[in-house]
Amino acid sequence: MSDIIEVKDLTLVYSDGTKAVDNISFSVHEGEFFGFLGPNGAGKSTTIKILTTLLRKTSGTVTVAGNDVSSGAPEIRKIIGVQSQDTTVDGDLTGRENIILQGHLQQMSGAELKDRVDELLKLVGLESAADKRARNYSGGMKKRLDLATALVHKPKIIFLDEPTTGLDPQSRLAVWSYLEKLNKEGITVFLTTQYLEEADKLCKRLAIIDFGKIVARGSPVELKREIGADSIRIGLENCDRDREKSKNIIKTMTGVKEIIDSEECINVYAENAALLIADIVRALDSSDVRLTSVTFSQPSLDDVFTKHTGRKIRVEELVKAPSATFGGRR
Amino acid sequence: MTLLSDTSYLFVRYLKKLVRNPILLFFSLFQPIIFLVLFTQILSKFSGLIPLAGGSYLEFATAGILLQNAFGSALQSGTSIVLDIDSGFLQKMLVTPVKRPAILLGRLTSDAFRVVVQSAIILGLAYALGAFVTTGVIGIILIFFTIAFFGLAWSGISLAIGMKTRSSETVFAIGGFLTFPLLFLSTALFPLDFMPSWVQDVSMFNPISYAVNAIRVLMTNGFDWGTILPAWGVIGLVAVITLSATLYLFRKVVS
Repeated sequence: MSDIIEVKDLTLVYSDGTKAVDNISFSVHEGEFFGFLGPNGAGKSTTIKILTTLLRKTSGTVTVAGNDVSSGAPEIRKIIGVQSQDTTVDGDLTGRENIILQGHLQQMSGAELKDRVDELLKLVGLESAADKRARNYSGGMKKRLDLATALVHKPKIIFLDEPTTGLDPQSRLAVWSYLEKLNKEGITVFLTTQYLEEADKLCKRLAIIDFGKIVARGSPVELKREIGADSIRIGLENCDRDREKSKNIIKTMTGVKEIIDSEECINVYAENAALLIADIVRALDSSDVRLTSVTFSQPSLDDVFTKHTGRKIRVEELVKAPSATFGGRR
Repeated sequence: MTLLSDTSYLFVRYLKKLVRNPILLFFSLFQPIIFLVLFTQILSKFSGLIPLAGGSYLEFATAGILLQNAFGSALQSGTSIVLDIDSGFLQKMLVTPVKRPAILLGRLTSDAFRVVVQSAIILGLAYALGAFVTTGVIGIILIFFTIAFFGLAWSGISLAIGMKTRSSETVFAIGGFLTFPLLFLSTALFPLDFMPSWVQDVSMFNPISYAVNAIRVLMTNGFDWGTILPAWGVIGLVAVITLSATLYLFRKVVS
């Protein structure tokens, strides 16, 4: 498989001196569903902006479909589709007009464009609302319209920056199914998301970025296997006081592979975790450590994420505050 | 020419946005129309007292009101770019191969078009009240040209403020702050001889005076090129300055 995106030693330093991306390298194969994960502010959006020609890199080489981002930006813009984190549809235009405008800006016209617009409206299920102004769409409809506008010119690569953030579970499932369908048709998908189950379900390979550096990469299965153990997440009533004491107690138990600090308090990775729970609870209880929660799970991307970044991915404001328009919605 | 077609697509987008917000359109026309009716009614008795170069005070004031309208509309221009930056729509355009200057040109041409349509409405109303353009159709075309050109130059200021401050409130505040002093310290509503000498001095340097004088001679006197050409020169100068600033700031925004 050839690489459609190649990033080598990419660094971006903002004018205020912040190093948003620090010497990262990765590649995305043609036709791949690639996930790019990281906590907020880790450098995800910055990397997408560089790949989509919106931001100039400080150093390193980046090629998209064989075009260098510095010299080949006009070529890149013809073959990429971008759905940014903010939903950007023009509320004064209808759904159909939004897609047509985007098609025009991609140098499309005539019957070719008209057919494509009909096809996309059908794909995202907006046929019946196509001629209503986008202002009156629900959040989920706007997201779907936004996706349709990004696809109008049949891009080779589509960049999706948190496409399902703020969507209700049903809409999220619908978006997942379009994305899988698109990917089956051969479009390379570059996805960032805060939802690890989304990455686990959709992505063939992923990279985790934290503080501007790539801390892990591989397929979801590989990454989970790396953990090699089930996890027990333990919450303590007085975490600061009891953390070290508890870790020392648990450390001596057989089967324990690793103990790390987590947001709840500590995470224990062990092969026979299910059997260990009772022992841990008993041992901590007899040492006067008060537990607030004990959760057992098989390795998930959450654990991969926590292991590499030291924290859980933070899903902020599931439902965004309504925009500053008054009334308007019917 | 993709620049031309890109500009036309964005021109159409802005016009659609405008037409679909009729309340905004109504209120931006409302003020000049109120001015036209009130000023000419309140001051109608002064007509004999005010030394006018020719024609009635209605005809005199119409030129000023046309300029006021152009001024007001142009100053809204900057808010649109702020909205596009804030909503991410500008970014969405920038990931397409669209020709960058088309983003500004689409906006500016639609502003110019809008101001011409509004001017036609004001001229029509003035005609109904009894004002008349002596230079006929060609004169009206030249009046529209002058106003559109003037609008373009002042849109530049608004766009520049918008891109510099990224705040539509600031654009409105600065726009509102500029409009009235510039308008009253010009020959837009009162003839030069009617003003105290310091206002005369200020208004001689006020670009609005030049533009308004050109429109006024076209309405009441005739093709007085000695007034029209210098006006175009002054507007051109303002346009070069404001549009360079806009272009400079736009380059910074898009790169």
